[in-house]
Amino acid sequence: MAATLTSSSPRFAHQSEAELARILDFYGVAWRYEPDLFPISWNADGAVVESFAPDFYLPEIDIYLELTTLKQALVRKKNRKLRWLRQLYPEIRVKLFYARDFRALMVKYGRLDFLADVAAMNGNGPLNGE
Amino acid sequence: MMHADVEEILLSGEEVQARVAELGAQLAGDYEGRDPVLVSVLKGSIIFLADLVRAMPIPLSIDLMEVSSYGAATESSGQVRILKDLSTSIEGREVIVVEDIIDTGLTLNYLLRYLHDKQPASIRICCLLDKPARRLAPIEIDYRGFTIPDRFVIGYGLDYGERYRNLPYIGVLRPSVYGAATPE
Repeated sequence: MAATLTSSSPRFAHQSEAELARILDFYGVAWRYEPDLFPISWNADGAVVESFAPDFYLPEIDIYLELTTLKQALVRKKNRKLRWLRQLYPEIRVKLFYARDFRALMVKYGRLDFLADVAAMNGNGPLNGE
Repeated sequence: MMHADVEEILLSGEEVQARVAELGAQLAGDYEGRDPVLVSVLKGSIIFLADLVRAMPIPLSIDLMEVSSYGAATESSGQVRILKDLSTSIEGREVIVVEDIIDTGLTLNYLLRYLHDKQPASIRICCLLDKPARRLAPIEIDYRGFTIPDRFVIGYGLDYGERYRNLPYIGVLRPSVYGAATPE
């Protein structure tokens, strides 16, 4: 069942995810938070050693969204996981939102105060590139 | 002359005018004898709409809508509100939605659902600028002026903080204007 942001909303890993959920709610786009876990690597015994759970699934649009506001080194790791995901599950659509994409959204919506708050919590400069 | 807050002119006034004239001619050909209604979304699209309809020498009508934007409305209802609805019925009409820019597609996705409920004969989309890099909602664009890169653009109706709409060209806003360092 698709979610909307309420008092019983999922526990988001990052404030930016909650903000994206609010944007989706605002525009009436249904979403689910981390609904699926995709195995992407296995050991010799066939046990799953690495998985990828995209942050959001938009059922009406049939697309997964992964939002990353992480440091560049971690972004590379996430890019690698996403590449594997796309190779192993070519039928699913995943869009990766980088920090710069999220920042651009916040600028577009005049939410620079939110960016500053998040940056302060992360101990980062407010609007610098990754 | 380039505005001091503009980093780069992405599309000159002449380029924009030439493309708008082409789009107008194409639309006029496609909609000859069909009496379309062009629905535009305030405020960014009004300059594009004004130039576009003057390049369409066919019978047509126009209507305007305005919807609340996320940032301005986060403290109120938490959902899109129609600030200005259509003035006339579009039931059975051939509708052309005229947009200045399609970015995430979220606003247009909402509007299309709203307009479909009013049972027009058809809805097609004409946008001046298509910025597909951050598209979330898939939008089928029937008439496209330009596909542009992922830059913050202003001018020809597009604003930042309600400024710059009157620039005759499409320019890239200097990141320092909105407090950002230049992205890598």
